[in-house]
Amino acid sequence: MTLGGCVSKLIRVEHITKQFGAFAAVKELSFEVEKGEIFGLLGENGAGKTTTLRMLATMLRPTKGTAIMAGFDIMKDPEKVRSKIGILFGGETGLYDRLSCEENIAYFGHLNDMSRDKIDDRVKTMAKVFGMEEYIKRRAGKLSKGMKQKVAFARAIIHDPDIMLFDEPTSGLDVSAIRDVHEFIRTCKKDGKTIVFSSHTMSEVEKLCDRIAIINKGELVEKGKIEELKNKYSCDNLEDIFIRLVGVKSEF
Amino acid sequence: MNFRHVWIVFSKEVKDILRDKKTIITSIVVPMIIIPLLSMIAGGSVQNMQNDIEQNVTIGLTQESNTAHIRELIKSYIIADFPNINLIDIEDPIEAINDSKVRIVLGVEENYKEKLEQGEPFVIEIIYDKSQTKSEGSMHIVSNAINQFNKKVIVQRLEKMGIDDKILKPVEIEQTNIADDEKTSLSMLAMILPIMIVILISAGGTAPATDLVAGEKERNTFEPLLTTKAGRSSLLIGKYLTVTLFSFVSAIASIFGMFLGYIIAPESITMGTGTQLSGFSLPGAAILMILIISVLMGMTFAGIQIALSTYAKSFREAQTYLSFLIIIAMIPGYATILMPPNEMPLYMFIVPILNTISAFKIVLGLNINYTYLTIALASSVVYVIISLKIAVTLFNKEKVLFRS
Ligand SMILES: Nc1ncnc2c1ncn2[C@@H]1O[C@H](COP(=O)(O)OP(=O)(O)OP(=O)(O)O)[C@@H](O)[C@H]1O
Ligand SMILES: [Mg+2]
Repeated sequence: MTLGGCVSKLIRVEHITKQFGAFAAVKELSFEVEKGEIFGLLGENGAGKTTTLRMLATMLRPTKGTAIMAGFDIMKDPEKVRSKIGILFGGETGLYDRLSCEENIAYFGHLNDMSRDKIDDRVKTMAKVFGMEEYIKRRAGKLSKGMKQKVAFARAIIHDPDIMLFDEPTSGLDVSAIRDVHEFIRTCKKDGKTIVFSSHTMSEVEKLCDRIAIINKGELVEKGKIEELKNKYSCDNLEDIFIRLVGVKSEF
Repeated sequence: MNFRHVWIVFSKEVKDILRDKKTIITSIVVPMIIIPLLSMIAGGSVQNMQNDIEQNVTIGLTQESNTAHIRELIKSYIIADFPNINLIDIEDPIEAINDSKVRIVLGVEENYKEKLEQGEPFVIEIIYDKSQTKSEGSMHIVSNAINQFNKKVIVQRLEKMGIDDKILKPVEIEQTNIADDEKTSLSMLAMILPIMIVILISAGGTAPATDLVAGEKERNTFEPLLTTKAGRSSLLIGKYLTVTLFSFVSAIASIFGMFLGYIIAPESITMGTGTQLSGFSLPGAAILMILIISVLMGMTFAGIQIALSTYAKSFREAQTYLSFLIIIAMIPGYATILMPPNEMPLYMFIVPILNTISAFKIVLGLNINYTYLTIALASSVVYVIISLKIAVTLFNKEKVLFRS
């Protein structure tokens, strides 16, 4: 592997495994994500998507294997990894209702060791980008769902992370909220962030992702560019490919 | 652990809680107002009742004995020295007592005058209602008045016979009560204050502890928090210190409330026992020690509360665990409420919670033993360490943290 290759692979997952007691939620999962890419993790309920993303976010410690995130090992340097990542887990993202939007965002900036000036600067910029200027000083509890969502976006990227992890960010949301999330993911990509994104909705994966991995019962079933997969299985519909792969596996 | 992160978490949590009217009301306003108010009402009404029983004794006469002579006997002789007893005109004696018009009705023998002059005993019947507190309470006051009258007559008769009334008193009894007023009221405090402190400290941390971990999990803010640069121990310690602070804020608020109550109505603090608090003469070192011991107990509670809140699967579950903790915390206090401070065995200064209660008791009971206090302090430090260890361990256990 060349040095250049190393640098461009912002995420390298190596045989990552998570065992809950005797039950293996994730088994020997390996994949790589290029810088600036949107990578989709596709799987049914209980496939191990959340567990994988939690390991990458250093919330869970892998039983075996590791991952290198933006140059840092999740096992050896979890704190440095955390300073490089932002997360948006689940559809309904919570805020502290009694803090203002600004304070909600700033709290995470402070915890990521940013200076007050830097935080103020970033908040101002993001307020403009997300159109939050009007309500940025209001208490989060008093806002509409759509407004809260934007605050959650801003909070996730306050420290300008290189990597964004999304775990089913659109689950349980209505159509316009889903559009906002997709828009946010595209903005992140435009800003040069590397994105891992889990979902079980084929259409959004197809719309957003550059490359995908399909996992079933904790194991990697297939990975590659969506186009390549379509050619390989000579099928134009990702959903059919998914059913074929997951179905075949589970018949074993 | 990173102190800057601890401080960031701590100051955010404090700010957040201070904006929550509900928590402020339950942990500051309630103890500051309700507790002294309750003790004032309870103390005040006991006191009023006692005053009323002693001050406004009303008596009547049966119809047969309601004659001018007998009224004269009662008014000018029997109750003359008792301004608190009043003779009232009534119709039916039983009805008058039942209607609380009078508390006691007296029936006096009609020919009492002859009997008195002849040196024969005559009868005064006291009619009262044992089921009425005031009627029963007035009974001894009226009997006392009659006894006084008896004594006066005896003295007169003896004088007439030329005999000194000393002959009737072979022995004089003198009582010396070594407990001064201060000690009596302090021992009342020694019974009540430690239990109040334990309840308030454990209750004060409940709302923040529930909100800070279980609440955070339920609100979906926990996962983003765990992926900031701040390590788990820093997050935990920041939250732990917040809970400790609020346990103390409510304990201090209630002590302050009791103090206010004392200034407004001094008798309230002793809950109507009638004794007065006069300038305490507790040694400063002992006060300092029990304050430190109670701070340590608050820290122990904070650790356990955070641990339970971490362990709980939901906000509701956390609330249940923490309410249960308050009940458990009350047991040692109530179990030993009547135990005199000078009889507390050594082990009581080692058992958690009980050690704080025992320390308070011996200090407020003016039975100060510095060895025991030191033992209570040392064991408290050990419990702080143990509870914090439990909290840290649970907080770092993925199995617990990501239960659902
Ligand atoms: N803390 C845990 N302890 C024990 N088992 C767990 C734990 N977390 C997850 N699991 C199990 O691991 C498996 C994978 O769970 P995971 O949440 O990663 O799946 P997922 O792909 O995110 O599913 P979903 O689409 O439902 O979110 C499931 O069978 C789940 O029950
Ligand atoms: Mg999931």
